Amino acid sequence: MTQETHTYQAMFLLDNQEVRQNGFNAVRDQVKTTLEKHGLNAQVLRLWGERMLAYPVGSRSRATYLLGWLQGSGNSVNEAKKDFYLVGPVFRCMFLRQESVPEKELAYGIEQIEDSAVVIPDEAPEAVEEEPAVEAKPAKAAPKVTAEGEADADEGDADAEEEES
Amino acid sequence: MMDRFEKRKPMPKVDNFDYKDIETLQRFLSPQGRIHSRKRTGLNARKQRELKMAIKTARFLALLPYDNR
Repeated sequence: MTQETHTYQAMFLLDNQEVRQNGFNAVRDQVKTTLEKHGLNAQVLRLWGERMLAYPVGSRSRATYLLGWLQGSGNSVNEAKKDFYLVGPVFRCMFLRQESVPEKELAYGIEQIEDSAVVIPDEAPEAVEEEPAVEAKPAKAAPKVTAEGEADADEGDADAEEEES
Repeated sequence: MMDRFEKRKPMPKVDNFDYKDIETLQRFLSPQGRIHSRKRTGLNARKQRELKMAIKTARFLALLPYDNR
């Protein structure tokens, strides 16, 4: 990693519980503060969407996605990533190096939206599949083959032969 | 299930694969979530690599599943 400055596209997955409690703007400011602490200049930070995850991450099934365009060095990105995973509302993030920030994205800037604009539905409880009741079958005891048993069987056979005669 | 002789839908022509464009990326995945081969996608090596990276990024961000079984 060098100290050269590059442009990065970043996507942050925010914990819905934190967004619901503190509001989207507060959480976004928290992310911005962490980025600035590590020397990353956030040019764009905007809400990308609130959606269901393709697979559960921990106990979460939904997340709020925050899209950002930053400028900074590779070292700063690594340090910021470590910080995000330690504390805060971000539970997953991805930084991708890009050539430049598209003009369409630059128009967003540090987006200020009303907290009520972010609608977070309650996480649906996971459907618990009931397993069909299986009747407990008594385990069959394996027939013991012992010297005595064999002897018993021999005796039994001998008795039967005597009775026949 | 697709009939053996049924013609497949042609793959969409994409200039740049973006990990955020889930609908397009899903066209290049099998129902089980596996990436189609170059033979099936008709992409050149460079584009197939871009597709692979976009899908893997989307998977990491939980936009696409790793496994759809």
